[in-house]
Order: sequence, then structure tokens, then C-alpha cells
Amino acid sequence: MIRKILLIFQRDLKTSVRNFITLYIIVVPVIFAVMINVFSPGINDTTVEIVLLEGENQRQEEYFRQFAKVEVLKTIEDIEERVIKRDNIIGVLPDQGDEYFILRQGNEPDYIVDYVKNLTAFDYYDIGIEDTTAEIVDYGRDIPPLKKLMVNIAIIFTSILGGMIIALNIVEEKTDNTISAINLSPVSRLGFIAGKSLIGVFIPIVGAFLLLLITGFRDINYFHAFLMVATTCLISVLVGFIEGVNNDDVMTAAGNMKLLFLPLFGSIAGAELLADKWQPLFYWIPFYWTYKGNNLVLSNTGSLLDIMKYSGIVLGISVVVFIVLAPRIRKGLE
Amino acid sequence: MIKVKNLFHSYSNDEKYAVNDISFQVEKGEIFGFLGPSGAGKSTTQNILVGLLQLQKGEVEVAGYDVKQIKNKMFNKIGMSFEQSNVYNKMSGLENLEFYGKLFDVETRDPMDLIRMVGLDGKEKIKAGEYSKGMKHRLTFARSMINNPEIWFLDEPTTGLDPAIASNIKDIIKEQNEKGVTVFLTTHNMYIADELCDRVAFIVDGKIRLIDSPKQLKLKYGEKLVEVEYYKNGELLKESYSTVVEEEKNKLIEVIGSNDIQTMHTKEATLEEIFIKVTGRGLV
Repeated sequence: MIRKILLIFQRDLKTSVRNFITLYIIVVPVIFAVMINVFSPGINDTTVEIVLLEGENQRQEEYFRQFAKVEVLKTIEDIEERVIKRDNIIGVLPDQGDEYFILRQGNEPDYIVDYVKNLTAFDYYDIGIEDTTAEIVDYGRDIPPLKKLMVNIAIIFTSILGGMIIALNIVEEKTDNTISAINLSPVSRLGFIAGKSLIGVFIPIVGAFLLLLITGFRDINYFHAFLMVATTCLISVLVGFIEGVNNDDVMTAAGNMKLLFLPLFGSIAGAELLADKWQPLFYWIPFYWTYKGNNLVLSNTGSLLDIMKYSGIVLGISVVVFIVLAPRIRKGLE
Repeated sequence: MIKVKNLFHSYSNDEKYAVNDISFQVEKGEIFGFLGPSGAGKSTTQNILVGLLQLQKGEVEVAGYDVKQIKNKMFNKIGMSFEQSNVYNKMSGLENLEFYGKLFDVETRDPMDLIRMVGLDGKEKIKAGEYSKGMKHRLTFARSMINNPEIWFLDEPTTGLDPAIASNIKDIIKEQNEKGVTVFLTTHNMYIADELCDRVAFIVDGKIRLIDSPKQLKLKYGEKLVEVEYYKNGELLKESYSTVVEEEKNKLIEVIGSNDIQTMHTKEATLEEIFIKVTGRGLV
């Protein structure tokens, strides 16, 4: 049985990489990861950047380096050119006497400008870190929240892509009329479904792990990540089967899979933006729980029990959906 | 090898039966032809026998297995060549056979041997999607032999093939049958049935009208005449003589003995003529 399930999985994998659409779906997580790295701010990017005139005030430069990322350039023209560039770098330039002025592009967040102003003032009044009366205590979370959000969404999105591959493979079986040939081999219906499902779990798991590695989430608990991704895939696998048996062409099947994006984005928006009293409205959506579970995984703050709770809820919802859809899937594969 | 008793099947789950109370048996090593026009119930019956359609009413036993509760093991013993070729277009011919062969629990045949047998050697690494219709049909036919089936279901095995390849396919069927394979042949091509089948069943409107060997049918429904063309005194004459009436038999002997015979044919009825006579229907 296991051998035959793996055979069906291998066949699907082989033909999937020969098909441009499915190949594209397989590499999408990597594309996501690269895009997230490009567009989201990294840890260093959140540090305030200051540009100074080279050799103008060595002591000030050393002082700023304790609290910000410092660049030094040779001329004022170079600094003006640098400040105009798209990032939020602030120039601190000598004015008359021993005063300084702050050169900004104009669209930098106020907190950055205030920060540089304060630093300049502190340096002027010779206030050092030893003069502070507060101690900083942090939870060690050094991943920007936007990046975490994007990776979380991308992981859930990747799990839907697994269902899409299944839908495309079922449509291929239907158009080639090969299901009847499989039905005349000693492969049970359950074995066939299991074999077909495997790619819908395998691709998202590999894709999600690549996504996590490329985006820098290397220190998280990968077993927890596996549990969350594997259970989230189940719902996509089921929808993939339904779309596969209900459609006769590839584009319609892939297009209908997009229906899942609505509960996906709806539940994330609900979880992030709505008050607690509205949260129960989203309890029926598995992606809501996946999003919460993934948050714990990505911030490395969830215990195994927490993760099992969230993945268990997703599994439970998937089982209910399976009970509802199983007869239609079985009939569709006859 | 196949026992069918009082089989009914309705697609609309009512009294409109596509297969209506049919019963027959196929013995081991036999080539059994299931003949009828389109929509007669041939494919429905065959699909029930192989489990592609659920048995609704009646008793069906194939290779010792009750089709009502099909066990996967049964499929190790049967093979089926579909009328519409159904192979994975994105896989090569060889990959198709290798993949399918691995799904069985019994010893399977070398895919390359089968490829050669149906004349696809040299094209085994080309994707099946690039095959012609006839090539795909041959690949489907080859695949049906991969598990050395004891019962071989063939649905229109030579449809759409050119005469040379069709002849090759017929030879393969004969060869497999000589090795002991039982063949259940579904076709509306009476010439193939006549050439290959030990027995045939005529099915029309879901009912079997007749089951017998082609030879017996011809004897029963033929006119038992011999038509002779011969030269007598330089003139070409054409006469028919009964092979039953004693007087005409003697005349035939005399004509053969004393004249230059040009052609001589027994006036056997063809299976198609018998089918029309028995069922009152054509085969298309």
C-alpha cells in the first residue's frame, strides 16, 4: 500500500515539474521569500542611519556609532546626494560656530528625525549611556513585525498552492481518462487518494521550510512549523480534490482555488484588526487558527502544547470538511 | 472464468434498463465476443464485469471473485484495453508502462517487450501526448497485458488502426489466447469477431438475443448453397447448387468433374447478416 502511494506521488511530482503551471506553483514559495527579503525591512534596516562629514568631528562620530548606523562622506554635496536617496538616512552637518543642523529629505518618519535630534543634543551636552536612569529589558524579538506577518501569510498561501497542484493533477487524470485505468489496477481508492494527496502536503512543507530559511527564520522550532503547515495543507488538499473532480480544464480548477484566498485574507485581517468580541466570527476558518499558530512559531514563543492546540483545531475543522466532501470526491473519482 | 446471472443495470436507477436480465458464462481459454450496435449495452456490461460500474442487480463472478464485493486482488488477474486510449500524455510510452506495471502485486512483463510487440519501439521515449491516435491506442493495448492477465477485456481493440497494425493486434490476441488467456471481446466489428471468437453473444437493447459459435451460426443461418462459375462450350456460366439436396449435390460433382471451374464459393451467411436476421437491427 505504502509503495503504491509513493509511486502515485512520484508520478505526480515527475509530471508536475514537466508542466509550466505546476512548476511555477512549486517555485512560488522561493519567489515569495526573495520578495519578502527585498521589500520588508530587515533587523538592521530598522536602525537609524546618520550620515556625517568625514573628519569633521571624530568624537561625535564615535558617539553616534553607539546608537545608530553611521556613514561618512567626503563633501557636503555627497551628503546632500546621499540624503536625497530613497531610504531614511539623516544628515548631521556643521553650522555656524559649534552648532549643527539636521539635513533631511522631508518624508522620513518623525521618530527618526526626533531620535537624531536627541542624539545630537545629548552629544552636545555630553550625556552618555551611563547617565541614563532606565534599564532596557527586551524579549529578544528581533524580527520586524511586518516581515513576520508577510512570512506568516506566505506560509498559509503556500499551503493553498499544494491544493492547487492536486486540482491540476486530478484534471490531468480526467482529461487523459487515466482514472479508469488506475481503477482497474490493484490500488485501492483510498490508496489513490492518499497518493494524490501527498504532493499537496510535500510541496507546501518543502516550500514553507525554504521560505523560512531564506527569510532568516533559522532559529525557530521546525517541528512546530511542520505541524502547523502539515495540518493547514489538509483543508487545501480537500478543496484541491473537489476542484479537480468538478472541473475539466486546468485554468478553471486553478481559478476556483482562489476562492480560498477570501477566508485566508479575511481571517488574517479579522485577527489583526478587529476587537476581541468579533473574533468568534472567524473561529470556523482554519486559516485563522493557522495564522495564530504560525505567529507563535515565527516568534518562537509557543510551547508544543500551544502548537498542538492550534494544529488540532485546524485538523478538527479539516476532518469535518472531509466528512462533508468525501462522498463527492469518491464519486468524482469513479 | 466469467459467470453472469440475471444482470440488470439502469443509469437512471429506474426501470429503464441499459442492461436487462442478461446471463452468460465464459469458459477458461475461450475468446468470447460480445457483439452489438452502439448503445446496445456492451460497454455497460463490460464495465460492470471489471468493476468500473457498480453492480446493481444480478450475480457476476470474474476470475473467481464476486464483483459485488470487489477485492483489489482481482485486478491482478484481469487486463483491459479501452476503446478510447487513456494514457498519461505527459509521460513517455515507456514511463506509462513502467508506472502502471509497478501498481500490480504480481510479476509483470518487461515494458520494452510490450512496446516492441505493438510496434512502438524507437518511440518509447517520446511523450504519449505526441503520439498519434493509433499509437496511443496501441500503447493502451500493450498496457492491458502488463500484468499477464488471466482474463483480458478488449473493447474495440482494432478500431482506428490501419489494416497492417490491426492484423498484428489480432495475431497478438490469438497468441495470448493460445497461451491460455481468456478473452472477452467487445466489438461491433463482425469480421474480427468471426475471425477470433470461439463464441459470440448478440446484444441489442440491453438483452442478449443469441449465444453460439460463429461456425454454428453460419451453419444454422447460412443458405447451404455453393455458387460455381465455369466455362462450358466457351461460355461462362454461373449456377448455385444445394449442398443438402442429393440431386443437386450430384450435379455439382458433375460440373466440377467435367468443366473448367473459374470460381466456387459456399454461400455462407456472414455474422453481420446473421445478426441482422436475428435481431432485425444493423450494427451501426
